[in-house]
Amino acid sequence: MFSGLRERLQAARNRLAGSIGAAAEAASPAPAEQTPLSPPATPQKNPTLAEKVKILVIDRELIVSEKNVAEALDELEMTLLESDVALPVADAIIADIRAGLVGKHRKIGESVDALVMRALKTALLNVLGKGLDLPAYIRSHDRPVKILFTGVNGTGKTTTVAKIGAYLKNQGFSVVIGAGDTYRAGAIEQIGVHAERLGIKIIEHQTGADPSAVLFDTVQYAVSHKIDVVLADTAGRFHTKANLMSQLDKIRRVMKPDLIIYVDEAVAGNDAVVRAAEFDRTVGADAIVLTKADMDSRGGAAISIAHTIGKPLLFLGTGQAYEDIMPFEPGAVVEELLGSGFS
Amino acid sequence: MDTLSSSLKDALKKLAGKAVVDRAAVDELVKNLQRALISADVNVKLVMDLSKAIRTRSLDEELPKNTNVREHVLRIVYQELVRLVYATADLKLEPQVILMAGLQGSGKTTTTAKIARYFQKKGMKVGVICADTFRPGAYGQLSTLCAKINVPCFGDPKATDARKIVREGLVAIKDLEVIIVDTQGRHALEPDLIQEIIDLNAITKATHRWLVIDAALGQQASEQARRFHEAIGIDGVIITKMDGTAKGGGALSAVAETKSGIVFIGAGETIENLERFDANGFISRLLGMGDLQALYEKVQEAQMAEEVDMEAMMKGHFTLRDMYKQLEALNKMGPLKQIMSMLPMGNMQLPEGVYDVTSTKMVRYRILMDSMTPKELDDPGLINSSRMQRIARGAGGTPEEVRELLKYYKMMHKTLKGLRGAGGGGKFNMQRLMKRFSGMQ
Repeated sequence: MFSGLRERLQAARNRLAGSIGAAAEAASPAPAEQTPLSPPATPQKNPTLAEKVKILVIDRELIVSEKNVAEALDELEMTLLESDVALPVADAIIADIRAGLVGKHRKIGESVDALVMRALKTALLNVLGKGLDLPAYIRSHDRPVKILFTGVNGTGKTTTVAKIGAYLKNQGFSVVIGAGDTYRAGAIEQIGVHAERLGIKIIEHQTGADPSAVLFDTVQYAVSHKIDVVLADTAGRFHTKANLMSQLDKIRRVMKPDLIIYVDEAVAGNDAVVRAAEFDRTVGADAIVLTKADMDSRGGAAISIAHTIGKPLLFLGTGQAYEDIMPFEPGAVVEELLGSGFS
Repeated sequence: MDTLSSSLKDALKKLAGKAVVDRAAVDELVKNLQRALISADVNVKLVMDLSKAIRTRSLDEELPKNTNVREHVLRIVYQELVRLVYATADLKLEPQVILMAGLQGSGKTTTTAKIARYFQKKGMKVGVICADTFRPGAYGQLSTLCAKINVPCFGDPKATDARKIVREGLVAIKDLEVIIVDTQGRHALEPDLIQEIIDLNAITKATHRWLVIDAALGQQASEQARRFHEAIGIDGVIITKMDGTAKGGGALSAVAETKSGIVFIGAGETIENLERFDANGFISRLLGMGDLQALYEKVQEAQMAEEVDMEAMMKGHFTLRDMYKQLEALNKMGPLKQIMSMLPMGNMQLPEGVYDVTSTKMVRYRILMDSMTPKELDDPGLINSSRMQRIARGAGGTPEEVRELLKYYKMMHKTLKGLRGAGGGGKFNMQRLMKRFSGMQ
């Protein structure tokens, strides 16, 4: 997952460590806590005599200056941009890392790597926030737990509803799906086939019916049949269409969802930020699902969206089969992105 | 995005006042441009190449006459951007087979129906084959859309073999002129599906292989487009979902990768919402600047306008004809005194009279000069009292006015001579000044 971003981040980390440590490397032995997995991989230039003297003069302590890291941070920013992290978000992350590095005193004995890693890790964790454990959430709330799926066209809402349905069913919950996409041709048929394959009850009306009514009926069905979870699919809509957004607002008022899940695709670029913010503003979003993560080894959209609306990432969609969905754990993801060398 | 386009405009404004192309100002513009393009999802490497070209051309190319620095740089920016999207995908109204390709959820099925409608409106007989045997409801979706516009749709919701369906479909609707084959969404990392579309391309012997790109697609666009291009040779790109806020920069990456052009733009959920591609509109949206084309045209115009012969003027060959052009140019710039006050003429005192020409007088002067013969314009010394009479009559004025005009001419002549004499840098400065004038709006 996100192997592209991982490689780039690790390269950036090595560069940062390299530029900070360049002066000190020769003077100090390799730091003790440095694990074999994370050596500053860039070959160090031999420090000149003047540099050696400088190190001795500043009393075995190094202050990381803005200049030390400027170039490496520029490169890191480029890396983030190439990984589809939206521009404002990349700016924020870089500022975060700079603040975490510049002006820090570092003892010669301390690992440069550790310093850089700490800054990177803190910045990324700040952005990705805490995950959300859906089964735990459902267990701790009154049944039925009503979950509404929103997002723009073609991000994979319907497929995600089916996948989450399968996931929750495997976790032992009873599920009902509401076919709230009454607009797109073939949408009811699509979710109907999924539901049938998965053995999940589906509530549907005719194409063109009021989605609020369909989803209200779905909730009623869940209440009277003591179903644990309601999954409400909706038609894709653009945040620029005021009428469609107020339709979504009506759906929210009528079915009173416990969770609103915003679905977007991992391959989306800068617009991901714009539309996530707009959906969050108009109808709200409690959690995010990113689809098509198998298409993309970069994962920038995850960082962008999470940073913009500050809501947890719930799942990643990673393929076309029902089991191709994985719960998102920020700690694990950051750990994976930065490599296991960090202690 | 608004702040981005305004910072781009600010950077351009900074160039406006410059007499020579200023490296720092160009760098700032290029940096802002980079940010704007990256925010619009244009491939980072593409942006870097583009900005390098713009920087080099802005600094190296000679400033065209009658163009200010801002217009010069803007023209380069515009040309470089247009070069990226220039290739127009050809679209003929003749029998053809079109194979649709693209990622999951990019809008292939909706676009297929829209294209069917496009050809139908042009009077072609159109048929559609649904080769998406994977996604539930795909056939239902396409056949519903086609039924609305009475276009035959071949497919079978229970079929599992796309190759077989397409073979059957090609036979079933072979009488139709335009056949559009909708396929399942796929991405480059799915080898089985890539093989499938290679086979479909072979089976259909498609005239066109169009790649459908979601306007919101980010940096991944390059890579995906490259893989699709390697597999089936994409010869056109369609951008969908342009009715949102996405800028469609990913499509630009795809165009660069496939060396093809943009065929259509989809912007809306109804079947009619399909437009042919318009490079100007697209670039303006990409940069968030609506006035790019207008500005570009203005530069073109300015370059065609007659050029004031600065060289000759500086050598003392200042004729009435030159003054005419000058007055014409000055007329657009506002009060003469204000303009003159901006000239860095050091200690040199200008005769007070130079300022006394109001804009109404300038118009009169021009009318008077219109009444002169070419010979008189080139050599004002010719003008005697009988000629004065004739000129005045022709312009509907008095000989007094003509005399005043000639007096003004002599004063200007003297002033210019004086400027030329004032210090070694006189000539150079004046040239810069004139360019600066033409840059003021």
